[in-house]
Amino acid sequence: MRRPLAVVVAAALVVGQAHPALAYLKFGVTVGGRQVALKWAQTPVRYSVSNQGITDVGVADLQGAVDRAFATWQAVPTATISYQFAGITAAVPGRDDGVSTLGFQNHPELDRVLASTSFLVDRVTGALVESDIFFNTAFLWSVAPAGVAGRYDLESVALHEIGHMSGLGHSALGETELRDTGGRRVLSAEAVMFPIAFAAGSTAARTLKADDVAGITDLYPEPAFAQMSGSVSGRVTRDGQPIFGAHVVAFDVAHGTSVGSFTLNAQGEFSIGSLTPGVYVLRAEPIDDADVDSFFDATRNVDVDFRVAFVDRVVVVPRAGDSGQVAVKVVRK
Amino acid sequence: MKPPGIGAIVLCMASLGPVRTAAAQSSPAAGPGRLEVSVGALWIGHQTLGSNDANETTPTGGSLKIFTTASDLAGGTGIEGRIAVRLTGSLEAEVEASYATPQLTITLSNDIENAPTVIATERVQQFTVGAGVVWYLPFRGGTSRLAPFVTAGGGHLRQMHEERTVLETGQYYHVGAGVKALLFSRPAGFVNAVGVRIDARVLVRMQGVAFDDGGHASPTVGASAFVRF
Repeated sequence: MRRPLAVVVAAALVVGQAHPALAYLKFGVTVGGRQVALKWAQTPVRYSVSNQGITDVGVADLQGAVDRAFATWQAVPTATISYQFAGITAAVPGRDDGVSTLGFQNHPELDRVLASTSFLVDRVTGALVESDIFFNTAFLWSVAPAGVAGRYDLESVALHEIGHMSGLGHSALGETELRDTGGRRVLSAEAVMFPIAFAAGSTAARTLKADDVAGITDLYPEPAFAQMSGSVSGRVTRDGQPIFGAHVVAFDVAHGTSVGSFTLNAQGEFSIGSLTPGVYVLRAEPIDDADVDSFFDATRNVDVDFRVAFVDRVVVVPRAGDSGQVAVKVVRK
Repeated sequence: MKPPGIGAIVLCMASLGPVRTAAAQSSPAAGPGRLEVSVGALWIGHQTLGSNDANETTPTGGSLKIFTTASDLAGGTGIEGRIAVRLTGSLEAEVEASYATPQLTITLSNDIENAPTVIATERVQQFTVGAGVVWYLPFRGGTSRLAPFVTAGGGHLRQMHEERTVLETGQYYHVGAGVKALLFSRPAGFVNAVGVRIDARVLVRMQGVAFDDGGHASPTVGASAFVRF
């Protein structure tokens, strides 16, 4: 019997300005009236590479770059997801043909979109059925090991898009500044899943960060690690009222790593999972380094009217447990 | 009937014995085999645990500091106890235990978006169990009631975070010096002497709540009352 399928979302890595996407740490899909995390029910996830190369990046180069990016995600020791190359295909990304395809496409109208991921979802189970990624040939690309000035690094961008393909949304762990010409310039990021790419020529986003690892582990936890990791949860309020859409970052003081999440309900509650047990400090900030709709549906009323604040207590994440509710109090700007 | 010469010698030894013992017991030093139990208070000084920056990666692969953390275990008081046994006239071995509740503080500052500096805190329960040696110095400062000594020891460190959900373990070592003073002594009886002990040590704690495996030194002062049996 053919199951009802639907394309639910397209998530993109952009240049300078965020493109609308329904995303936060994990993608969600409504199945039978309830929200479930979008993920693959079966692994390895099989992917094909389009047989269309471009100048300076042939099909073999394309395949090499995406293979390396898939291998990077698969190498996360705390997650179980795996991928398998299914071959070179004449299919093109974006076609609902049951084949997950990565390839180049020319979209000059998307003048700030480097690449985009689309999904085909089983509406009965919520499981991913197909996911395609296109790299926009309106931009210049490189697969050179050290990068090439003026060209975007294909492996870095593939790494970001494969995060989406695996079910991850965007992370807000990054700092940007507004450009005079419009859009934003990325000063720094501590997540491959930050919605705005590093400048052309950079290869600094070929390595997963703690936030990416926590995200993929949360979706596909390796059973032994799930018994060893912990979480922190709490609530963000201003004058006693809950804040929706606050970005909360847990900083592991011993290891110097950061993992972020958001307050995701009307009560201003947040939860950050897949954390290494230990001592953490918490920092809450409004979404101000990328467009809000890079993280949330535009219909959600995200509150950004508060100052960055630290929590005045040390937060301890236990093994296989939660920190207990942490109260995060912020003040208006 | 015993030869009178032998009886006189035995009597003489019996009468000399208490005199020698009384002389020794008027000093905090004691003969081998004596047990000593002490309980008292200690003050442990501040321990720096180090600093760590929250960094993000720049497009060139460098680092951009988002904020700074500086961690300390604040100074505080606690209690400690010992059971010691005299091995020789000047050497004592002891087992020791202590309990304290220092405050772990993490100062969060230099935020890139100007968040106000905050000191995040929690109370840590610290337990130590270990062993040490005390060596009594040969000079007594002109009085037989004082016994200066040097001491060294070490053992197991357990530190429990405030929510009692995470227990950190490690080791501790100490070296220092002090003095024992007799307040009361008697030549016979179950309780042989009562006195006070004051010492100052350098305490080195390793691991536990510290964020590295290195040693972190703190000054420590202890004052306790002891009973010798």
